[in-house]
Amino acid sequence: MTEHAAPVEGNVEIPDPQTSHWQVRADSISDCVDKLGQIWSAAAEQAEEAPMSEETRQAALGDPRLSGRLDANRTIRVRMRTSVLTLVVVAPRPETTERALAAINALHQRHPSRAIVVSPGDFDGPSTTDAHIYAACKLSEHSGAEICTEQILVKTGGELSQHLSRVVQPLLIHDLPVVLWWPDDPPFGTRQFQEIAQVCDRLLVDSGSFADDGTRRLAGLATVVSEGVTVSDIGWLRLRLWRELLAGLFDHPLLGRELEHVRSLRIDVAQPGAVFRLGKAAYLCGWLAAMLGWEGGRPLQRPTEDGEAAHGTFRRGKREIKVEIRPVHTSLDGSMRAAGSLIRVELESRRARCAVRARITRQRDHLLATADWNGAQVTRRAGRLEPFEETPFVAEALERPGLDRIFERSLVRAVRFISG
Amino acid sequence: MATQTSRRARTQPGTTREGAPQEAVHVYHRESQAEQNPLRAGLMLERVPDPCQIVVFGATGDLTARKILPAIYNLRRAGLLPPETTVVGFSRRPLSDDDFRNLAREALNSHSRVPVEDALWEDFAEGIFYHAGQFGERKDFRDLAERMEEIDAARGTRGNRLFYLATPPSAYEDIVGNLGRAGLDRQGQREGWARIVVEKPFGHDLASAGKLNDALMDVFDESQVYRIDHYLGKETVRNLLVFRFGNGIFEPLWNRRYVDHVQITVAEDGGVDGRGAFYEEAGVGRDILQNHLLQVLTLVAMEPPIAFEADALRDEKVRVLRAIDPNWTDARARAQIVRGQYTGGWVGDQQVPGYREEKEVDPESKVETFVALKLEVQNWRWADVPFYLRTGKRLARRATEIAIQFKSPPLMLFGESATPPEPNVLALRIQPDEGIMLRFAAKVPELGLDVRSVNMDFTYGHSFTRDAPEAYETLLLDAMLGDASLFTRADEVEAAWGIVTPLIETWQEWDAKSDPDSEICFYEAGSWGPENADQLIERDGRRWRRL
Repeated sequence: MTEHAAPVEGNVEIPDPQTSHWQVRADSISDCVDKLGQIWSAAAEQAEEAPMSEETRQAALGDPRLSGRLDANRTIRVRMRTSVLTLVVVAPRPETTERALAAINALHQRHPSRAIVVSPGDFDGPSTTDAHIYAACKLSEHSGAEICTEQILVKTGGELSQHLSRVVQPLLIHDLPVVLWWPDDPPFGTRQFQEIAQVCDRLLVDSGSFADDGTRRLAGLATVVSEGVTVSDIGWLRLRLWRELLAGLFDHPLLGRELEHVRSLRIDVAQPGAVFRLGKAAYLCGWLAAMLGWEGGRPLQRPTEDGEAAHGTFRRGKREIKVEIRPVHTSLDGSMRAAGSLIRVELESRRARCAVRARITRQRDHLLATADWNGAQVTRRAGRLEPFEETPFVAEALERPGLDRIFERSLVRAVRFISG
Repeated sequence: MATQTSRRARTQPGTTREGAPQEAVHVYHRESQAEQNPLRAGLMLERVPDPCQIVVFGATGDLTARKILPAIYNLRRAGLLPPETTVVGFSRRPLSDDDFRNLAREALNSHSRVPVEDALWEDFAEGIFYHAGQFGERKDFRDLAERMEEIDAARGTRGNRLFYLATPPSAYEDIVGNLGRAGLDRQGQREGWARIVVEKPFGHDLASAGKLNDALMDVFDESQVYRIDHYLGKETVRNLLVFRFGNGIFEPLWNRRYVDHVQITVAEDGGVDGRGAFYEEAGVGRDILQNHLLQVLTLVAMEPPIAFEADALRDEKVRVLRAIDPNWTDARARAQIVRGQYTGGWVGDQQVPGYREEKEVDPESKVETFVALKLEVQNWRWADVPFYLRTGKRLARRATEIAIQFKSPPLMLFGESATPPEPNVLALRIQPDEGIMLRFAAKVPELGLDVRSVNMDFTYGHSFTRDAPEAYETLLLDAMLGDASLFTRADEVEAAWGIVTPLIETWQEWDAKSDPDSEICFYEAGSWGPENADQLIERDGRRWRRL
């Protein structure tokens, strides 16, 4: 039954203003639904049954965290559960489950939501369900408002693991957006993926964790996008600082018009191990192609020898833009944090009496961007590297519900460039 | 003089859509390099302000330390300003650039909403300069102009300048005149733009507001002037527009057919906080009613603008003010206005002195610290719908709220209910605990048919848990981007003074005559104002909402 962490008793007869939480286990989805109902009616009763003496009322009025919860009659307002979305996470591996739960915990203050983490087990054997429900109401220190959230961890086994949408559907909150977060390597095109993707409004992935060199799944992602699914990719979001700095350089009045005359693009990416990951570099190429109207030229040729660069071209009218992506063997440290991370981007433009070189290089904790005009540096910018953890990016993806057209166009160009 | 007249003529409502100022704004947009940069699409700020020099007059003052410098620093920190952005302090005190940088650092340490990071500070401090001078001294402005040319070359600010008047209003005319004489107002003939931000109060009555506007427009064009009322930069005030015009279900009800009346409350629990001398001059009429309260009223009552764009919005706001009768006859003033002054009492658990016992306040003062009034917006949408406004110091709690009370159903079916349902109310809370509340009737779950009012309550904090930016950050960024939507236009200021000035003059006449029937009413600190304020609304068979 519902275990309720009792509010702290004190001189003041107000339920603990900081937090109340409930934890319960269920062995079927319908049991899960019932238990959630029980939790919220208990929560509502507990909040309503808060009779206050005059003294308490005065104390509550003086407490900035509580005064907002007092209604016109100066009694504590009934507890309210506000959700802005349902987050569904599919995490087949136990370590992914833990990572997802940690991110959800960090996010719940910012995104009051119901989170359903589904952990599909072995397809063989009998179908099983084991659900853990955790619900909590906390007064946000930030706004003084009470925010209630729920986390449901559902482990499935047997054939049920192939029908995750059936597990998830009864648990969705009515008429709220459903975001599907697939933290690992999503099996685009499989029935398991298709079925659950159909009940969700948006898909969140990280192309940084795609299998192999990342490009095969990138093509799968482009197919998903072409089917009309709204997608956010953490790998793309991580490129934002690079994009901002490059855009910032070309805000300079001398440089803006030179974007029309770009001749070459060179990208260095980190290769700490055997795999030459091309996802991020491909995104950057795709983005520049989409923004600057570059058409397809020669698709990217991967090197035959380890340590060699990949080459390709774009076209803009009669002009050819040469692209070179070079692997840099490096050990992972504070700045070089993942295979495939960009280390340096260099864009060159040339026309009569005017040559521009714009360059961004990764430093220990920031990116440094400079641009030269006929050999003289004319502008310089720096930006702090964003944190490595995925939580802030998940938060950002949840906050921007709309289509990101620039992402979609860049993805399409990137896939065309890498697969021809 | 001819120039001046033509400039003023452009600010009349209705003419601006075709008029020059708006066109000029569009020209700046087109010229902005940022807009030509295709790589900017989809980034957080699709348009980044051009690099500019922000010249702050009154650089050693309180406003600069508490609001302006922290706002610029936080914008810079958030990556919303280009790194070339430069601050030039101008004040009388003889300080070096480094002295002023130290002052700025102290100001940020005490007032920034986020802690100052050393690395960013160093970069920021390189762009801070100081120029000592007298506001009335022409030569000091010529020197300033030369200094700014040098800074343009060194910092790459490209001749863009934003002048910020953070001085007492008495210095405005000197500064503006000298900016003109030094040629610092010019734009168009050479590279870059010039804009001027003016802090409220914009005059202390209709005549002085007109005089200030004349002085500004002698030198600048209306499209270069940004009159800042930080209240309009507040997230919730801006939200009011989204609530009204971003939802389909409320606007059809937003008129005389469905609305019984509107109440707007701006209540403060604080007193005059050491600003006794200022308050003796201003009173709540000038301090709150003329600007905040009338601004909120215009946002509630305005027609939908044709576009979410500065002049379209401001045209509609001015129309509301023009639909309010500025003719305060003695009888109307007596019937529709209550002014009050607080006496000592308890606010929460604090015992506080009365207004007349505050520092720098005349012990016989007749200045109002509370005002409640009934206004009518005489247009097709609002005819016969009273707007009840109240504002005051040392009231029971700090609360700003707009309440729209709807008409009752034409026939009451549930007569047997112990309590008849109360009319529907839609309340928009601006502070604290920003949110929206809708009150409606529901059946009490039991065998009988008892009806009770329940509140459906939405709190922003429940759904959006991010920090809203400071009003000054929003407004400074808008000024740098050339977006004047949240700034007050000259005709708007004058229309608001046109309503409030005759009122204040009537009070002054009454006080001079010491007419016992029209004396100021007293209220105890910590109450909701004088009893007469309750009677004002109760005479019409309504009551103030309990907040």
